[in-house]
Amino acid sequence: MKLKRIMIAAGLLAALCAPAAQATPTLGDKLPARKSTADHGKFKELQRDFKSGPEVTKACLECHNDAAEQVMHTKHWTWEVVDPKSGRKLGKKNIINNFCTSTISNEKDCMACHAGYGWQDKSFDFAKQENVDCLICHDGTGTYRKLPGDAGHPIYERKEFPHGSGKLVEATDLKKVAQNVALPSRANCGSCHFFGAGGDGTKHGDLDSSLRNPAKYLDVHMDAKGLDFTCVSCHKTSAHQVAGSRYDLSAARTGPARPRGKADDNPASCQSCHGDKPHKESLLHAERLNAHTETLACQTCHIPEYARNGIGTEQSWDWSTATKMGPDGKPLFVKDSAGRRAFDSKKGDFAWDSWLIPEYRWFNGKLSYKTVGDTIDPARTVEINHPEGGPREPGARIWPFKVHRGKQAYDPEHKYLLVAHTAGEDHAALWHNFDWPKAIEAGMRTAGLPWSGKYGFVATEMSWPITHMVAPKSEAVGCAQCHGAESRLKGVAGVWLPGLHKNDWLDLAGWSAALLALLGVLIHGSVRICVLCRKTRKAS
Amino acid sequence: MRKLIAGILIGLAAGIALAVGALWQLAGGLVFEERESPFTVEETVARIQHNVEAAGNGWSLSGLRYPTRPLEAEGINALPVMLIEACSTKYSGPILKDDKVRFLSLLMPCKVGVYKKNDGKVYIGIMNAGLIGGLFGPLVGETMRHVVKDQESFLVMDPAKPAPPLILPKSGGEAGAAGGAAGGC
Amino acid sequence: MNTPVRPGHIYLYKRYERFWHWSQAALIIFMLITGFEVHGSYENFGFRRAVEYHTLAAWTLLTLWAFTIFWQFTTGEWRQYIPTYKKVGAMVHYYAYGIFTGAPHPFQKTARKKHNPLQRLAYLALLSLVSPIIWGSGLFYLFYAYWKDFGIDRWLTLEAVALTHTAGAFMMLVFFIAHVYLTTTGHTPLAHIKTMITGWEEEETQH
Repeated sequence: MKLKRIMIAAGLLAALCAPAAQATPTLGDKLPARKSTADHGKFKELQRDFKSGPEVTKACLECHNDAAEQVMHTKHWTWEVVDPKSGRKLGKKNIINNFCTSTISNEKDCMACHAGYGWQDKSFDFAKQENVDCLICHDGTGTYRKLPGDAGHPIYERKEFPHGSGKLVEATDLKKVAQNVALPSRANCGSCHFFGAGGDGTKHGDLDSSLRNPAKYLDVHMDAKGLDFTCVSCHKTSAHQVAGSRYDLSAARTGPARPRGKADDNPASCQSCHGDKPHKESLLHAERLNAHTETLACQTCHIPEYARNGIGTEQSWDWSTATKMGPDGKPLFVKDSAGRRAFDSKKGDFAWDSWLIPEYRWFNGKLSYKTVGDTIDPARTVEINHPEGGPREPGARIWPFKVHRGKQAYDPEHKYLLVAHTAGEDHAALWHNFDWPKAIEAGMRTAGLPWSGKYGFVATEMSWPITHMVAPKSEAVGCAQCHGAESRLKGVAGVWLPGLHKNDWLDLAGWSAALLALLGVLIHGSVRICVLCRKTRKAS
Repeated sequence: MRKLIAGILIGLAAGIALAVGALWQLAGGLVFEERESPFTVEETVARIQHNVEAAGNGWSLSGLRYPTRPLEAEGINALPVMLIEACSTKYSGPILKDDKVRFLSLLMPCKVGVYKKNDGKVYIGIMNAGLIGGLFGPLVGETMRHVVKDQESFLVMDPAKPAPPLILPKSGGEAGAAGGAAGGC
Repeated sequence: MNTPVRPGHIYLYKRYERFWHWSQAALIIFMLITGFEVHGSYENFGFRRAVEYHTLAAWTLLTLWAFTIFWQFTTGEWRQYIPTYKKVGAMVHYYAYGIFTGAPHPFQKTARKKHNPLQRLAYLALLSLVSPIIWGSGLFYLFYAYWKDFGIDRWLTLEAVALTHTAGAFMMLVFFIAHVYLTTTGHTPLAHIKTMITGWEEEETQH
């Protein structure tokens, strides 16, 4: 508690003392604690002009000689996860998502977010240490960028981006970046995770660039003027293994809080710091809130809405309208009222919104994925991923989800989703040539799967567990939001909510009995009054 | 006889009390009106803004407010609310020039609230200008009749038409302020 | 303790008894109001407040009962609730017929026998049927958070408890309606209520 107060005070002080630094936030100036014990600018190895990313990595490895080896064992490098239960190969390399669909044949673009250099096709050498990108996570200057189309390389020379926009992007000063490395900040992780699916806030809904410097209402832990947690405050990292992955989520951690540093199954869960009985309650509440933790995830109440800012998040992506051109026969790009993408001839129709009320589903931490080549039923909405778990399952809780809906290309004969070659400047690329058959042919060839030559579009949905943008405790979802006729949990199976659920027969019987009693006494009373009236009239 | 009169009087008083009570309950609903919008908050606002600009009769946008922004600065989370302010010099002029009803300036500019509720739906809130107009004599009554008609045209939204862009105030707009837009009353 | 004397009147309800009755009445009415809000019948305080007030009222009523049980046994007043079938038929006949014709009340209240035979049966039913239903289900409802510690969650569902509690509430509502109406059946419509407030009952000799 005291520590917390000191931290808040220090944050406030820093904010007060450095108004200029606040206007253009630079990482080095914020808190003295952030500063490394080593000034990398003084290292001889870094006092030279670097021509490429791999050159920088080689210099890093001269001292940090195990770093690349460590990174090579992480998902950030392999983009592959083997599900210990099913043995299935998951990870970005293998799964399909509901946005850009598949990385296969599109590596040049997608690998802008790979923690490495040069992954543009299957020939990428995963064993070459200098291919590891140290700077994407450790850049302390906020100037290091990797653009789609460069297969994970930073900007070596001034170029136009986005292609055809007329906007110029300067080359990155690799020397400056190398000399100013730091522990990952929110902006470092955010350079990929805030921009998933190709734009700010597009994919997650609970992760976007507003979390670089969030206000308290948006995230009580990351509050830039308050606790100022970075991503790794929770996603505790050791030997470059980042804790808390969507592929291995603890949906229902139980037991008391465990101090940091102790061996922990998942330090990135709320309970690892707060325990599973975090509410201090009066006798009047009889541990009622703490009992909710048996059924609900912390996030269910403490993230009242996601995308709580003007950035918003994508709600749907309909690929079936892609390649539709404007009236002049040229590619069209339409924005919605808030300036978010609404239609793009390359990609189809989009719907965006912000301050979204999550959908609630039972979840035991396991998402089962559709990977390339998995059979689908085109008559129904295809669940790109499916949150496993149900009521009365000890490891399952009701979780908040962003459900992203859309339409994707599929093969009506082979009954699987199609891999399309979208990104690139070659004649087969969908975003270049606007030709579905060519793009699918190229994509499926790279994926090594047969294609019948036919394609259609099938409705799809993908569920994203919501876990960031935790509001201050006073802003948690109120009781009546669930315990009422308009309950948020309406339709969630296996729970009985006072205020929402009733037994209609009991209510009918009860109210009838009360009504009959009332009628009975009214009739009895009226007869008494009548008799009395008649008597008094007679008497007079 | 006396008893009868007393009974009638008591009945009358009770009736009046009931009527006043009912009116009291209804008053909120009479003064304000709320309807659902099929669009997002931003799109609803943008469509209304463009309707205001196309309405003629001297109408122009005089501001756009975000009343929840000051709350956010205090660490409070609230669903979004956007407040469109519109004004017509044609209708405000006569009222502002008349000493007797000048105080009605406090109702200016005209406001349309667009907000999301916890059911996830977007709503539009407007003031019933017609009701207010009726209370302050023929000049105001007549003016408000026109305002009501125009206000109704602000809320006509054709889903077949593409979403127009939001019209943001030229300056400011932070922390709930309107910013210096042209056409203020 | 000295019993006060007032000619033509009997002192029926002692001070504690009246305090108990009226505070219990207020609490039960309040619990019906808040309880049916928790049930989702209407909105007034808001769900959270309704639950808190309901719980607070429950604890208050339990405390009141603790004192009252003590009082019943120390004063021997508990005997007032021993059922009797004597004159039950006469009571039913009175309410169904005699009351309209102005027949005399078949039961004469005394300080030792305050309740008529029907009343005794009704109160006994309230004590032995409705009360256990409400308090049993209510306490399980209140302490839902502790079910797991005792393995109760393996054989009991919240739904069953909530529905039992609601059923009890409806019984209490019916009792309340009948009880309030029956207070008007004294020699004047407000006589019983007056007695319950002052403690003094007019002796019905001349009626």
